Amino acid sequence: MDTMSLLMQGFAVALTPESIMFAVIGAILGTLIGALPGLGPANGVAILIPLAFSLGLSPTSSLILLTSVYAGAMYGGRISSILLNIPGDEPAMMTCLDGYPMALKGKAAEALAISAIASFIGSFIATIGLVILAPILAKFALKFGPAEYFALFALAFATLGGITGKNQFKTLMAAAIGLMIATVGIDISTGVQRFTFNTLELFEGVDFIIAIVGLFAISELFFFLERHAGDGLKQVAINKLKLSPKDIIKVLPASFRGAVLGFVAGVLPGAGASLGSFISYTVEKRVSDKGEFGKGDPRGVAAPEAGNNGAASGALVPMLTLGVPGSGTTAVLLAMLISLNISPGPMLFQQNADLVWGVIAAMFIGNLVLLLLNIPMIGIFVKLLSIPPKYLMPIVTLIASVGIYAVSHSALDLYFMVGFGVAGYIFRKVDIPLVPIILGMLLGPEMEKSLRHTLVLSDGDWTALFNSGLSIGLWTVAILGLVLPIIVGPIVRAKMAKSKTATKGD
Amino acid sequence: MRINDRVFGMLMLIIAVAYGYEATQFPIPFGGQESVGPETFPIMLSLLLGVSSIYMILRPDPDEKWAPSAMLIELGIVVLSLLAFAWAIEPVGFMPAAALVVSFLSWRMGASITKSLITGVSSSVVIFFLFNNVLELALPLGLLEF
Repeated sequence: MDTMSLLMQGFAVALTPESIMFAVIGAILGTLIGALPGLGPANGVAILIPLAFSLGLSPTSSLILLTSVYAGAMYGGRISSILLNIPGDEPAMMTCLDGYPMALKGKAAEALAISAIASFIGSFIATIGLVILAPILAKFALKFGPAEYFALFALAFATLGGITGKNQFKTLMAAAIGLMIATVGIDISTGVQRFTFNTLELFEGVDFIIAIVGLFAISELFFFLERHAGDGLKQVAINKLKLSPKDIIKVLPASFRGAVLGFVAGVLPGAGASLGSFISYTVEKRVSDKGEFGKGDPRGVAAPEAGNNGAASGALVPMLTLGVPGSGTTAVLLAMLISLNISPGPMLFQQNADLVWGVIAAMFIGNLVLLLLNIPMIGIFVKLLSIPPKYLMPIVTLIASVGIYAVSHSALDLYFMVGFGVAGYIFRKVDIPLVPIILGMLLGPEMEKSLRHTLVLSDGDWTALFNSGLSIGLWTVAILGLVLPIIVGPIVRAKMAKSKTATKGD
Repeated sequence: MRINDRVFGMLMLIIAVAYGYEATQFPIPFGGQESVGPETFPIMLSLLLGVSSIYMILRPDPDEKWAPSAMLIELGIVVLSLLAFAWAIEPVGFMPAAALVVSFLSWRMGASITKSLITGVSSSVVIFFLFNNVLELALPLGLLEF
């Protein structure tokens, strides 16, 4: 079918020496970023966007670079889960359950290798899923009118808190703050200045890349300072790898199951990678014979890792086809697409087919690179992990600010970055999630545009927003996404906490 | 204590009202009033923020602990040092400004003075040459320019 031939064309793009080089660089950087405690994937990609931007890389190269960083960060996250018992980000939490006990038993190298293989399987299967599902969804999304898009954006915000979200009103508040920041500047369709206070620098609005780096990276620095976490943590020593093919075969079924479950969780709005790895782990525990789950069962490492990576690739499906990201990191990837002047959504597959398929092909290659890098080079990554944050965080902060400065050569952007950092610190203190803020800034202009189009077409009739069956369906899911977590959330969270304490009790 | 959420909710409520009021004051765009003006979407947002901040004031979550005031002052100084770096990058130059701010940060995070100076100076020099010569993004030399 044409998907196949498009994919082949994609491989032609992805196999040029230049693309392979960017995939390798991205994979290495991503693994490092993921491995460093406190620097999650969203942070890492955010810091690298302005760099890719100011280097003047072509859209394809920068996308390849940053998607491999994304994939690499998912790989790297498991290193600190296994060796330090500290998840790099939330989805990596489930890997701690069996990974750390394995490391304590002196099987750290095996745990790392198994998780690398499981990660590879997870991403690989999910990328195949992406190849099959994305064009179908894109074709379907072509039916969307402005009213449906408005409903879809509302759905994205409503489900962003996820099924485990604690306080839905805080998610909404964060979304409102982000959307409000997006309205600053000259209104595109009427030319009216909004909230600019006649300041020339605000006419173009607030750059979301500055906001991302400030909110994520700079506020993280403040938290490190506050917690006196400068010295880093003690890690388990790593042993020599003894892995037989039999051990690998033993974890294969777990990895496959985890990958599929993770992919589904990644595609669905509001589920995300955390739920992906959680479901994979619990299902694996139920399906498998009585293993030693929680005490260092290799399958307990493989299943959540495959689920986590599967969900990460699955989350790219709604991001690429609808322009609606489901997680923090995909939101950051969306930021990059918008700043490269590529509007994601169904038209992406028609207008920028070579770019999309090039990136998808690059994901296959990036994964292979990651697997090949990770098994022999794990020692190097582990060494880098032991650099204490007191040296690393200041340097990361410096690189982040240089990236911001290099885009515009304006010190004002740096002031804004610090301002967003302080705001991010306060938001995190009062538990306001940061991702909806970013997403609001990203989707604000589009959301307002679709509202306008709908109302202009209907001559000011607000019921036009709910006129088609499709938009009613989307609104229903949005409302469910908002209400369900209030009912189901406490149950799921209690279960997650229970499986965590059960392990600690042993 | 549940004071954080109440104070923050109050603050956001003020912002919501001010933002919504400002939106009603927009000049009528050229070409006359349409069914959706530049103020429609902002007014919806101010309602959304208003409702969620009222909820936050009425049903606050338990507080997360704030750092002791000594730490807050220290964080304030760190913010000032970052702002000073932003100010100094052009007149003083990238290398001296970056060396100072990185040394200061890593000293505050608990490194010894010598080690933090080494980190600061070496990282700023390496990054400067990496950007200027390898990546060809000019960073300001500042005082070192002659």
